[in-house]
Amino acid sequence: MSNGVMNRKALVLLGPVAGIVMFVAVVWMATVFVRQFEYREPYRAPAATADATPRAEGLAAERAAAETRARATPYVEAEYRTVPVVGSRVAIWSVAQLHLLFAAFVLAVPLFAFIIEVIGYKTGDLRYDRLAHEFTKLLSVSFSLTATFGAFLTFMLIILYPKFTNYLMSVFSPTFLPYVLLFFAEAFFLYTYYYGWGKFRPLVHLGLGLGLNLVGTAIMMIANAWLTFMTSPRGISDQGAVISVWDAVTNYTWMPINIHRFIANIAFGGSVAAAYAAFKFLQAETDDERAHYDWMGYIGNFVAIGAFLPLPFAGYYLAKEIYAFSQTLGLTMMGGAFSWLFIIQAVLIGNLFLAANYYLWLGMGRVEGVQPLQKVIKYLLVAITLCFMVWATPRSIVATVSELRAMGGGAHPVLGYLGVMSAKNTAVNILILTTFMSFLLYRRTGKVATVRWAKTGHSAQLAIFAAAAFIVIFLGIYGYFVEATVRIRLSVPQVSSVLIAMVSITAIDLFLFRGAARTGEVRWGKIPLISQYVLIFIAVTFTWLMGLMGYVRSGLRQHWHVYGVIRDQSVDAFTPTLGFATKVVSVTVLEFFLLIAFVFWITSLHDRPDVQRRSKAIDQTRKGGAEVI
Amino acid sequence: MKIPLLLRVGFLVLATTAFYTYVGQMVPQKEVLPPAEIVLRTDLTTGEMVKVGREIMEGKGLCLTCHTIGSSGALRFPDLAGVAARAKTREPGLSDVQYFARSIYEPNAFIVPGFNPGMPVGNKPPVGLTDQEILCVIAYLQTLGGTPTVTLQTKHQYNAGTPAAPPSQGASPGGTQPEAPLKGEKR
Repeated sequence: MSNGVMNRKALVLLGPVAGIVMFVAVVWMATVFVRQFEYREPYRAPAATADATPRAEGLAAERAAAETRARATPYVEAEYRTVPVVGSRVAIWSVAQLHLLFAAFVLAVPLFAFIIEVIGYKTGDLRYDRLAHEFTKLLSVSFSLTATFGAFLTFMLIILYPKFTNYLMSVFSPTFLPYVLLFFAEAFFLYTYYYGWGKFRPLVHLGLGLGLNLVGTAIMMIANAWLTFMTSPRGISDQGAVISVWDAVTNYTWMPINIHRFIANIAFGGSVAAAYAAFKFLQAETDDERAHYDWMGYIGNFVAIGAFLPLPFAGYYLAKEIYAFSQTLGLTMMGGAFSWLFIIQAVLIGNLFLAANYYLWLGMGRVEGVQPLQKVIKYLLVAITLCFMVWATPRSIVATVSELRAMGGGAHPVLGYLGVMSAKNTAVNILILTTFMSFLLYRRTGKVATVRWAKTGHSAQLAIFAAAAFIVIFLGIYGYFVEATVRIRLSVPQVSSVLIAMVSITAIDLFLFRGAARTGEVRWGKIPLISQYVLIFIAVTFTWLMGLMGYVRSGLRQHWHVYGVIRDQSVDAFTPTLGFATKVVSVTVLEFFLLIAFVFWITSLHDRPDVQRRSKAIDQTRKGGAEVI
Repeated sequence: MKIPLLLRVGFLVLATTAFYTYVGQMVPQKEVLPPAEIVLRTDLTTGEMVKVGREIMEGKGLCLTCHTIGSSGALRFPDLAGVAARAKTREPGLSDVQYFARSIYEPNAFIVPGFNPGMPVGNKPPVGLTDQEILCVIAYLQTLGGTPTVTLQTKHQYNAGTPAAPPSQGASPGGTQPEAPLKGEKR
């Protein structure tokens, strides 16, 4: 027993001792382990003891020499900096064009979203409200991209053209604060307009839309002052010193550019929105979706073409002011280095007219039954083709020496007559009239006027058409027989007669088809698929046209940053060939469409079900349950 | 095989831009360089001045952007063929040299009937010709229906010569010697 007691006592004593030993052992092991794996600074020999290699010595000497040189060199402000491979001009050209394309889009979409919302409010048709909202969805991402490209452009100007940018800033610094404040206002209106859809009373929401458009237009007008000043400077001395900022803002081409851009932006925005609708139409899986996107595409294209028709008149006004500022500049544009650019422009505009008309003609098929008006199409097609050919005829032809001798100069003895402005003005005015007629034919497809004076109304419309066409053609021919002082003024009555015809015929049409009998219903979505590709083609052509005309507006200054005041002394001071310019335009257009596809994709995410709901739906489907997507 | 929609639309965008790029390659290709600086020797003969004057009119002076030589019909600006003969009698009291000088330094002072004003001032930007370059242009203009007579020493009402006056008193072709070094002389 005593042995047993002793053993127990020994155990009681040994227990804590063993515990202490084990604790010490663990601590010791842990210490060894940590010491073995912890990070230790590698041993570095003191610099003084390291062997200096010849390479290290050489590098140190180079660094020291560079520093000495840098300290000895006085600070000189750089006039230009270069971008590798593509050069400064192409880099800034591309970024500026992308900024302008997005800016045009974010200015145009609110404009027609607002117009469509007003129509929806007045008619009580909810489809218009839905359509306006759908257009507005595209704005949020586009606005961010526009601002990003704007900032990018500003930095590029400061980096690549510091001296010139500094000069522009010195002239226009008073406009910068209003510009920034307007940008804040733009952001406020845009986001409240978009996120407030259906959350405010209709009139309050319309007020937000109006504010958004007014602010957007004001922003555009300020930015236009900077760029138009470069082409037609005013308000400065011969040496470039500022005399009047207001005069610098309201220079010769400022208002024409404001008007031209305002209209062109609507046309461009409408065409891109129509292309969006076309893409959604082609993606659609149900008849309802197809009907909706067909209608959306039609409205977008209607807005685009509606704005496109008066655009040449705004172009005349701009060209007139360029000539008024400087005949040399005007002639460089139309008769000098850029004259062939307008032949390319003629091809683009001819394509736009053809495509727009083709879309309208295809649209007639939406209406039930046989449409008697479709037989007129072939005559319209002939008129459009002839006008297109006249417009695309160059004044002087590229020919061999023997051919030039045979022709007696650069102008063809017969076709040369079609290359002058008298012929081209006539062609474009007839093109506009023809497209307007296509639209009228489309409008009355499936309808019969029932008013008592229907016959008289139709006759009056036809008479106005014929009179306008006669005036345009007569003045076009008359222009060949009069002096320049008279000829230059003939475009005004030509344009006026077309405008008066369009306004008066539309006015008659509105009353003529009030309460008209329907001979067939419009079946939205029932249109050949090719029509949707036509809409996409129109959008690409519009974008390309904007790129081309942006080039001529800017390139017109040739070797001047500010025409006649600040000369371009950079390596890019020359005017490139049209072939090179068109390549840059094409690359920019492709970049824009890649980015706009990104905008469409981001926007489409809004309508997709979230991941959890989708997974749940898939699970339920697998289990045989109903799909809830 | 059905081609995916994105590919079809992408192809359409690419084909359209490619087509317009192709059209751009079909038109005449000309690179326009900034006008070269012309270095004038002080001892240029009248014959050499004529050649230089023609070069200036085609390049730096931008004259032939608007004016033609030997064209007829509906012109925007006066044709210059035979202008030397017309210049002698165009404005009473002005010699041909004085008339040409006035047309270049003050182009809007006299507008040829039937045409609109629009010529830029020759000695200011964007044209910015020197007095000597303008004399060369005048020498060339004198060959268009006449005989060139000006030298780099010729004075007229705009280069510190006598003001506009009847031909008998004015700066006659090949006129007086300069009183000061040539203003526009370059290296």
